Formats: sequence, C-alpha cells, structure tokens
Amino acid sequence: MNEERSREGRSKRFMTLLGQASRWLGALAICLVILLPVVWVLSISFKPPQEWLAYPPTIIPVEATSSNYIVLFQPGNPVGGVATMVSSAEPVTKALINSLLIAPVATAASVTIGFLAAYAVSRYRVGGTFMPFFTLTTRMFPPVAFAVPLLVYYRTLGLIDTRLGLILMYTGFTVAFSLWMMKGFIDGVPRHIEEAAVLDGASPWRVLFTITLPLVRGGLAATALFVFILNWTEFLFALVFTSREAITIPVQVSHYVGAVGRFYGPQAALGVVASIPVVVAGYLIQRHLVTGFTFGLVRE
Amino acid sequence: MASRVDRRLGGGGKKPLFPRLVRGIKGEGFFRGILPMPMQLLLWFLLIIPTLIVLYLSLVAWEPRMGTDWWQAPFAWFRNYGYVLSDVRFWQAIVRTIGVVGVAVALEFSIGLGLALFFQRDFFGKRLFTSVILYPMMLPWVVVGLAFYLVFLEKGPVNYMLIHFLGLKTGVAWYHYPALALSTIILADVWQWTPFMFLILYSGLGALPRDPVEAALTLGASRWQIFRFITMPMLKQVIIIALIIRGLEAFKIFDLVFIMTGGGPGTATESISLYIYRLGFVYGQLSYAAAMAVLILVSISIITRLAVRPLEYEA
Repeated sequence: MNEERSREGRSKRFMTLLGQASRWLGALAICLVILLPVVWVLSISFKPPQEWLAYPPTIIPVEATSSNYIVLFQPGNPVGGVATMVSSAEPVTKALINSLLIAPVATAASVTIGFLAAYAVSRYRVGGTFMPFFTLTTRMFPPVAFAVPLLVYYRTLGLIDTRLGLILMYTGFTVAFSLWMMKGFIDGVPRHIEEAAVLDGASPWRVLFTITLPLVRGGLAATALFVFILNWTEFLFALVFTSREAITIPVQVSHYVGAVGRFYGPQAALGVVASIPVVVAGYLIQRHLVTGFTFGLVRE
Repeated sequence: MASRVDRRLGGGGKKPLFPRLVRGIKGEGFFRGILPMPMQLLLWFLLIIPTLIVLYLSLVAWEPRMGTDWWQAPFAWFRNYGYVLSDVRFWQAIVRTIGVVGVAVALEFSIGLGLALFFQRDFFGKRLFTSVILYPMMLPWVVVGLAFYLVFLEKGPVNYMLIHFLGLKTGVAWYHYPALALSTIILADVWQWTPFMFLILYSGLGALPRDPVEAALTLGASRWQIFRFITMPMLKQVIIIALIIRGLEAFKIFDLVFIMTGGGPGTATESISLYIYRLGFVYGQLSYAAAMAVLILVSISIITRLAVRPLEYEA
C-alpha cells in the first residue's frame, strides 16, 4: 500500500517537474528571441568595417576590435580602418556630457514638482478632477504637435539649442507622469499618521517633509528612475531644438550616416554606450518595485 | 518692546520676526496654494501657451524663410485647413499610422496576454526571465530602431535565417517594398512594447480575486470557460486602459520610422508625426504644419473621450 502511494506521488511529481521544465524552456526561447537584436548590435559594435556586411553573418566577430568605441571619442584615431571613415565627425563627448547634465536635472525637477503637486492633489483635492487629467494631455498628443509652436516660442525666448531650454521641455512633458505615479504612492500612505502629527501641532510643511516623504521614498526612487529613462531616451525634441551646443546622445546616434552609407560600427557602439545608463536604471527599478508599477490602477 | 525670547517653562523658542507673516506661510491655505504652483507654471509655459500659438499659427500664412516675424504674418483663416484636408499625403500618413497602430497594438496585446498567462505559474528562474523580458521597454528608441534596422539588412541575420532554415533562395529586400518596410517597423515596435502589455496584464491578473475562480473550479468549469467568462470580464477595465495608453503612444511613432526607414521608400512608411515634422522643420511650412497639428489634437481628444466612456460607467 505504501508502495502504491509513493508510485502515484512519483508520477505526479514527474508531471509537475515536466511542466516546470517545459515552462522553463519556453521562457528561455522567449528570452532568446528578445535578446537577438541586442546581441546583434553588440556584435556589430565590435566588428571592423569589412565585417559589418559580411555574409554569412557571424555573432562572434572574426577580428574583434574596440576601435569603434575609441573612434567615438577620438575620430581619426587609431589610424586606418574605421577611423579614416569618421575622421571628420565630432567626438561624442559633447553629446554625452549634455545628456548627463540634462537628463538628471530634468528628472530631479520633474519628480520634485510632481511630488509637491501630487501631495496637493491627493490630500487636498486641488484642481478637482479636471486638473490632474488635464496634465495627461501633454502625453496624449504627438510631441511634434507641440514642437511646432514651441519652435517659434523658443526662438523668441532665445532658448533654441540651449540645455536650459531642453531641461524645461523635458520637465514639462514628464511632470504628468511624476504627478500620477507619486499620487498613487501618496494615496497609499494612511492619513491617520499625518493627522496624528497635525494634532501634535506640526505645520503642513513638517508633515509633508518629515512624515510623508520618508514613507514614499521607494515610490520617489521608482518614479525618478522611470522619468530618467524617458528623459535620457527622448529623441524628437532634441532633434528639433538642438544642433551643436545642446545635442544629446540619441540625436548623436542618428548622425552616423555619411555619403557612403551608414557607419554601422560606431553607430552600434554609440547605441551600446547610450543604453548602459537606462539598463542600470531599469535594473534599479526592478529591485525597488517588486510588484511592478501599476500606476495606481490596481490596489495591492 | 517685549523681548522675543520666550520665558515659558521648558522654553518655547523665540517668537519669529514677523509672527503673522510666518503663521500665514506655515498655514494650510498657503500650503495648498503653493504646492501645485510650479507644476501649473510649467503647464502654462509648455502646454497652454503653445496651444494658443499653434492655433494662431494655423490661421496665418507664415514660413520662417519669409523673413518677417511670426506675429506679423498675414491672416489666411481656414485656408491651411482646407489644404490639409485635400492633401493626399496627409490622408495616406493617417491611414498608414492607424494601420500600424492597429496591427502593432493587437500583436502586443495578444502576445502580452499570452505571456502574462504563461507567467502565472511559478517556474525555475522566473524572476530572471521577467527581468529580461522587461528590458526592451527601457532601451532608447533610436537604439531599438538601429538594432532592427541592422537585423533586417539584406545581409543581416534575419535573411540569413530565412535562407538557411526556411530555404528561401535569396534574402528578402525588406526596405524596398512598402509593406515589408512597414512590417519591420511594426516588429520593432512590438518587440519593444509587448513587455509593457505583459506588465500591465500580469499585474492586473495578479490582483484579481481568487474566489470566483475557485468557486468555478469546484463547480466543474473548464479552464477555458473560467478564462472566458470570469477572468476576462474582470480584466476588462485594465485591458481598456492598457489599450488606450499603448494606442496613444503608438500613434505618435516617430523615432523608429526616422531611424529605420526615414519614411522610405519614398514616403511609403511615413507616419503622421514624421510628416508633420518634415513639413514644419524640413520644408519650413510652419503654418501648414500647425494646421495639421491642430486637426490631430482635436481628433485625438475626441477619440480619447469616446474610448474612455466604457470606463466611466463602471467607475
């Protein structure tokens, strides 16, 4: 009798093991499909020019080289090969510095402004039902529709091709995200904690900064990382409103096109460089936010 | 003048310099007013004023190369709108963009739903796989566009696999035919944004109450019946929100088209955003672009309003 039961148990365990294994294989297959384009870009970024369009294509370069990366910062060096192709290009340091300045500053501004406004909306119902939804219109419409009037507007103000101009724009267009995400997190803080503090004589400012703020720290971080990704990867506004001074990395990536065609190697290398900060940010988001960001749609 | 030092027992702190002013600033009314102010300033600066400007621009005839300032341009009233509505390239771009949005979002939804259901059960390394799946969303659009452009080149890996595994004779010239070029763009968008659908649907599924499902199981319902009659209706709200959000975002598609095909061959893959961009910033016809932009804004507002209706009833 005991043997019968353990035989049943064994076949059941085998079935669940089989189910688990097949799921694991399925997930693996999915991940491989997802990773293919990424792997391909990585691969090209390490290939010398003669291998860019080589056929049959190989994932591992025959002659791996780092010159695509070097040439980003020092066009013309090392001599020969890729360097002679892009020797007339500019180094990407300017774009890199700009992005590194613009994205974090705009993110900080957006999250701060959004947090303050979210507190007002959450606790005091400022703006009623209209205002919070009104902010969403900045995300609803194609950015190009805003770019047209903003061009004349910025030209009059002299903000074209300036970092400040871009920072203002990025802040304005992500503040809706900040507002809604922070509102979700603030809504999750029980009011009675704040009310207890008020009864103890704290001013609303103290309540906000010493009580609510520490409690939503995680949400603040997640929002900041999310907005950072948006700002870092933004393309259209940067394309329209910058040329030499305030150029950002995404626009720089689109520049590696010449008379003879595209310079795939350096372009891919720059793409890899451009992706590193957001990959890091994405990893940090996933660590902070276990249940995923649901924009307050769903109550946990 | 009474000293501002407080002589109460236990100390009370000094009285501030302007007590009434400080009490006012620390008070609640001021607080509520000033908190949202930076955001409202931004909105005025970036949303309201530009909207007014774009309306004005659409009613005049102005191009930067005319040399005059934009507020001195002559009024053309609704002439620009007439031009837009009779512009074939405009209608083609609209239809094309809607088509791309429809196909891409449908694919993203179905694949995302499948993935979300697939991930409902635990399995070895699920955390890791979930991490990997979420990455495409975070990559810069230009990098995604570049990656897919490279992958679909004539001598690229996709053609290689098609020839070797499916036995085609020559590679497919993806960028020479409009339908194929559009497909590559759709594929790039699906690759990048299916994780978004997956995330929303997965979270939505995870938050559904278990009781109805378990009750149905004990009553003998099949998995398919449970899915169709219990799970799906409960998900309806989440699904509608996800579709609206993704649909609106997809409609704006620009970066991918710009990097992958530049609108080509010819103008065959031009999305509406790209067309307005070209008109306004390459050809310099800002008034015309403004009129088109206004039409788009109005249409999107109306359509969104209609699409959100089903949600409002249930809320």
